[in-house]
Amino acid sequence: MLSNPAGAPYIPGMLKIENLTATVGEGEDAKTILNALSLAVPTGEVHAVMGPNGAGKSTLSYVLTGREGYAVTGGSATLNGADILALEPEARAAAGLFLSFQYPVEIPGVPVMTFVRTAMNAQRKARGETEISAPDFIKKSREIARVLSLDPEMLKRPVNVGFSGGEKKRLEIYQMMMLEPRFMVLDETDSGLDIDALRTVAEGVNALRAPDRGMLVITHYQRLLDYIKPDKVHVLARGRIIRTGGPELAHRLEAEGYDGVLAEAV
Amino acid sequence: MSPDLKDLIRNPTIAELELVARFAALKADARRERLFEAFAQTGLPGRRIEGWRWTDFRAAVTSLDAPKTAPARDPLVRDGVATLRFTPARYTAPTSLPAGLRLLAKDDVQAMGGAEDAPLGALAAALSGGKTPGTLLVEVGAGAPVHLHMVFEGPGAINASRIVFLLRPGAELHVSESHLGGAALSAALVEFTLNKGARLHRAVYQVGGAGEAQAVTALIEQDGDAESFLTTLALGARVARLETRLVHRETGSKATLNAAYLAGAGLQADITTHVRHGAPSCVTRQLTKGAVLDGGRGVFQGKFHVPRTSGQQTDASMQHNALLLEEGAEVFARPELEILADDVQCAHGNTSGALDAAQLFYLRQRGIPLTQARAMLTEAFIAQALEGAGELEDALRAEAQAWLNHAA
Repeated sequence: MLSNPAGAPYIPGMLKIENLTATVGEGEDAKTILNALSLAVPTGEVHAVMGPNGAGKSTLSYVLTGREGYAVTGGSATLNGADILALEPEARAAAGLFLSFQYPVEIPGVPVMTFVRTAMNAQRKARGETEISAPDFIKKSREIARVLSLDPEMLKRPVNVGFSGGEKKRLEIYQMMMLEPRFMVLDETDSGLDIDALRTVAEGVNALRAPDRGMLVITHYQRLLDYIKPDKVHVLARGRIIRTGGPELAHRLEAEGYDGVLAEAV
Repeated sequence: MSPDLKDLIRNPTIAELELVARFAALKADARRERLFEAFAQTGLPGRRIEGWRWTDFRAAVTSLDAPKTAPARDPLVRDGVATLRFTPARYTAPTSLPAGLRLLAKDDVQAMGGAEDAPLGALAAALSGGKTPGTLLVEVGAGAPVHLHMVFEGPGAINASRIVFLLRPGAELHVSESHLGGAALSAALVEFTLNKGARLHRAVYQVGGAGEAQAVTALIEQDGDAESFLTTLALGARVARLETRLVHRETGSKATLNAAYLAGAGLQADITTHVRHGAPSCVTRQLTKGAVLDGGRGVFQGKFHVPRTSGQQTDASMQHNALLLEEGAEVFARPELEILADDVQCAHGNTSGALDAAQLFYLRQRGIPLTQARAMLTEAFIAQALEGAGELEDALRAEAQAWLNHAA
C-alpha cells in the first residue's frame, strides 16, 4: 500500500540540527526558546524528544516547519542536506517534512478530502510530479481510513470541525499516511488519546516506518513510546538537548521524573 | 431645457445635468415626474447623504460617457431558461415563455412606494422607457415553479430598467439576475410583491468595471406565509450599490437574505438592506460575507425595523463577517436593529479581520502555497453565504473562486 523503496541510501543526518537558536516575540520582548540545540536523525530511525513543560518542544516543531512568529538567530537545520530554514513552509512540506500538530486546526468549509487532495497535488506539482487521479486518490483514502478505523463520512466533513480530540489526532495520521512524507515530526500526538485510539494511531505511524524515512516523536510522557519504539531518546530542557540515550532513558524519566536528569546536566 | 427642470437638483454636477436632460427627453408622464423629483431630492447620492457616506455616487459618476470596458461574461445564463435582456439600446424577451408567466411591457411608468428612501431606485424608474419599457410587469401564477433569467448589460451610457413582479398566491418564482456592467451608469429597479404563500428564489450576480457605477435596487413586499430566499454575489464596480428593502406585511412571512461581496483594487461593493417587520411572527435570516483586497472597499449596512405593536414575535438575525485580505483593504459596516416591540428574538453579529494565521500555516504545512491557501480559506469563508442559491450555487461559487485565484 505504501511506498517503501528498497535500497534507499542511508543518510547519517537525514534531519540534522546544529546549534539551532530561536526566539519568539520581537524587540525587547524577544525570548530565546531554543538555545544552541543540536540533534541528528539518520534515515530509517525514529527519535523521541522528551522534556518538561516549557522546554521548547513545540517551538522546535514550529521552527522546523516554518511557522511565523519565531526568529532563527543562529545555527542550522538541514533535511537530506538541504537548508530547510531558508524555505517557505509549503516548500518544506514539498521537500517531505510533515508536522502532526499537537492542536490540529479547524478549517470550516473545507472538506477533508478536498484539503488533502489539494495538498497532495500541490506537493506533487512542486516536485514536478503528475497529479493523482481522483479514482486513485479515493482508493488510497479508503484503504488508509480502514487502517485507522476512520468513518469515511468524516472525510467529507470540514477539516477538524466538530471532531473529538482523538478524531483530530487520527486525522493527522490519516494525512500523514496519505501524503507519505520523508520526515515526520509528531508533536504530542498522544495527548487527548485514550488507550485504544493510541494503539490505532501508533499502528498507523509504525506502518510508515521505512528505511528511507525518519521521524521525530515529541512527547511529554513515555506511554506513547511503548507503541512507537524509538531508536534514540533525547531530553530537551531549557532550549537544548541535555541528554541522549536509548529507549531505557524514557523509562528512567517516567520513573524518576525530569528532575534527576536535569540536575545531572547542570 | 426649461429653467425649472434645471433647478430640480441643487448645485447639479455635469452628470446630474445629463440625467435631467435624459429625463426631459422621455415622454412626459406625471408619475415619471414624481419619481424624478424623488431622485432630485438627493441627486446622485454622496457622502453627505445619510446612508451613502461610504458609497459616493456623486463623486464617482463624473460623466456619462459609455465606458471602454465591455460587459462581463454571464455565468448564470443557461439553456432552457427564458432570458430577458435589458441594454441601453433595447429590451428583448424570448418568444415562448414558461407556463404560469405573463409579461406586459408598458410604455408608461408605475407609481413606486417609498421612492424617497431609494433615490437610485427612483432614478431607474424615472429613466426607464424610450427604447426599453417604462415598466415591465411580470405576473407569476400558482402552479409549477417558474424559472426566469434577466441580464442587464451595456454598452452605452445609461442603462435604466424597471421590472415589477407579482407573485400570485402560492406561486413559486426562481429568478436570476446578472448585472454585467458595460454602461457608465446602470440603475435597475426590481420590485416583487409576494401574495399569500408565494415563494421567491432570487440569485443576483453583479460585476462591473473600475469606471462604472451600478445600482441594483430591490423592493419586496410579502404577504402572509410568503417566503423569499435571496442570494447575492457582488464583485463591485467603481461604486456598486445592491440595496434591498423588504417588508413583511402579514403574519408568517419569512425571508433569507444572503450576500457575499468581493472587492479588488479600485472597486467598491455595497450591500445595503432594510427589513421592516410590519406584522407579527415573521422571520428574517441575514448573512453577509465579504473579502476585500488592498485598494478595495466593502460596505455593509443592514437595518431591521421592528415596530412596537406589529412587530411582536419577530424572529430575526443579522450576521456580517468580513475578511481584510491585505493591508489597505477597507470595510465599513453598520448593522442596526431598531426594535420597539418587547416580545422578539433579534440577534446580530459583526466581525472584520484578517485570515487566521493558524489556519494559513496549517494549510501551508501540508504543502499548499500561500496564495492558494488564502484563496481556499477565503472561498470557504464566503461559501456559506452562497449555499442558499440552489441550482445556481455552483455557478456563483465558481465566479468567486475565479476571482480569488485571480486576485489572491
